[in-house]
Amino acid sequence: MKTPMIFTAIALAGLVGLIPLAAYSAHDDVPDPAQIARGAKAWAQQCGRCHNIRSPSELTDEEWLVSTTHMRVRGNIPGNVIRDIQAFLRSSNKKE
Amino acid sequence: MTHSRKLFSAVSLIVFVAALAALPTDSAWPQEPTNKQLLERIETLESELRNLRDLLLTNMKTAEQAREKAAVAEVKAIEATKAAHELEKQTAYPSIPDTIWHLAGYASAGAEFRTKANEWDFGGVQFNPGFHFQYKDLIIFEAELEMEIEADGETEFELEYSQFDILLHDYATLVVGKYLSPIGQFKERLHPSWINKFSNAPAGFGHDGAQPDSEVGVQLRGGIPIGERSTLTYVLALGNGPRMGHEGNAEFEGFGGDDNKNKAFGGRIAFLPMPYLEIGGSFWKGKLDGIEGPGELLPTSAYAKVWGVDGAFTRNAFDVRFEYLKNTRGPINSFDEDHGEVEMLEKLSLEAWYAQIAYRLPQFGNASFTEKLEPVFRYGEFRVKGSHHLEEQAHKRYNIGLNYWLAPSAVARVGLEIRRFFEEEIQNETLVQLQVAYGF
Ligand code: HEC
Repeated sequence: MKTPMIFTAIALAGLVGLIPLAAYSAHDDVPDPAQIARGAKAWAQQCGRCHNIRSPSELTDEEWLVSTTHMRVRGNIPGNVIRDIQAFLRSSNKKE
Repeated sequence: MTHSRKLFSAVSLIVFVAALAALPTDSAWPQEPTNKQLLERIETLESELRNLRDLLLTNMKTAEQAREKAAVAEVKAIEATKAAHELEKQTAYPSIPDTIWHLAGYASAGAEFRTKANEWDFGGVQFNPGFHFQYKDLIIFEAELEMEIEADGETEFELEYSQFDILLHDYATLVVGKYLSPIGQFKERLHPSWINKFSNAPAGFGHDGAQPDSEVGVQLRGGIPIGERSTLTYVLALGNGPRMGHEGNAEFEGFGGDDNKNKAFGGRIAFLPMPYLEIGGSFWKGKLDGIEGPGELLPTSAYAKVWGVDGAFTRNAFDVRFEYLKNTRGPINSFDEDHGEVEMLEKLSLEAWYAQIAYRLPQFGNASFTEKLEPVFRYGEFRVKGSHHLEEQAHKRYNIGLNYWLAPSAVARVGLEIRRFFEEEIQNETLVQLQVAYGF
């Protein structure tokens, strides 16, 4: 009874402290080669940890954005790493 | 008088003469020009006119040329703008709407042969659609339904999870709703049939086992990079907590209400020194309410606790995992439905662990199909102390199998499972399992 309350208090305090840092970024519309390179590496390292890596051509850009955000939560992958991976997936699917 | 008249006349004369002198001589007194003079004048005028006309013509021509040049320049400018737009279109991405979604999930079907019954059945028909909706990089809502055909033909229907993930910042997400238990690896990450290397859960990681299933509450979770290659991940969770199950065990099955004032809490912390190596530790604790017995029959409540460690090594063609969970429930009063009376249940301890290895074969010579093959092996144990009924289910489990990957998330597999029960009187069992699974 006591412990969970302390836990809740700590969690809430942490949360309130963290909220101001929130960055609600929209998705960049212009490719950044350095980010794409970082993303390719992170994709190879992170996305095969729990299941087979799927080919970038399996999903559309929009579906990848949703799915990688889903994986950001499920896999506890930092947001900046996920944005790099998203940049890589978008560039891989681009029609030349 | 005469004097003044003379003066006036003199002045008038002077003025008149002066005025005459000021007049231009020829206009004042025009003289008839000669014909020759006239001709000359006309000729001069004519030549001046010609010059003027020529000048006008040249001017008009220049203006025309300038106009043409301007028109050409305009066309070029339009073309250049078009080309620039085209170039921009080629390098920039099409814009993404603020709300995006994805229909995902997985499905499986198979067959199983059981030596004990000496019969085989088609089964394991399962369809789990998953829905994901995302608004910017701010919130994602995810839900998954589970539909499964039971042996009696009924369809079991369940809301596996339904949660809001609010992305607070790069290293923290707030989860609200019904979520899969973050304890250990199996439930949250490995149980979908296209991810699991086998067609069932390890011993003690399924229903009525040591592994909590799901929870209704909140989570704060994320990953924090440490240096270049390492990451620390955390999940802190709070939920309604467990309730008493029919077998006297604590059920952690995502109850939508609490049976007491006590909330369950815990989580998992993991460290990845390298991206391909993960070591995690989990803890979960919640209070259970029993019932008050007659007289001095105590206690009426108990704590259920789960703790565990897990590890994963996923590099190149290898996928190696290990997990241990211990789930205990303190002594508690409960209602025995069989005998219709209150009984005191002793301490219950469920212990489950497994180790598994999967290896994706390389290409042998020209036979590229070997790359699609993945032999797998798993050993696990489920040990029980404190409940006769559950003790009957305690066993060692050996699994050996072969996965044929049709696609990165589609697999056809065959496996052999041997169960050796700890209770002497329970007959050991061998199963042959076939399964097709697809994650989409
Ligand atoms: C911590 C383990 C883990 C990691 C790391 C991980 N995934 Fe997943 N992934 C899962 C699980 C579990 C599911 C199934 C989710 C479900 O059905 O509830 C899944 C599902 C998916 C799906 C199916 C669609 C969906 O969103 O459910 C795709 C695509 C996917 N992952 C891609 C990726 C990519 C890309 C990465 C790298 C950024 C990644 N995964 C990293 C565990 C992981």
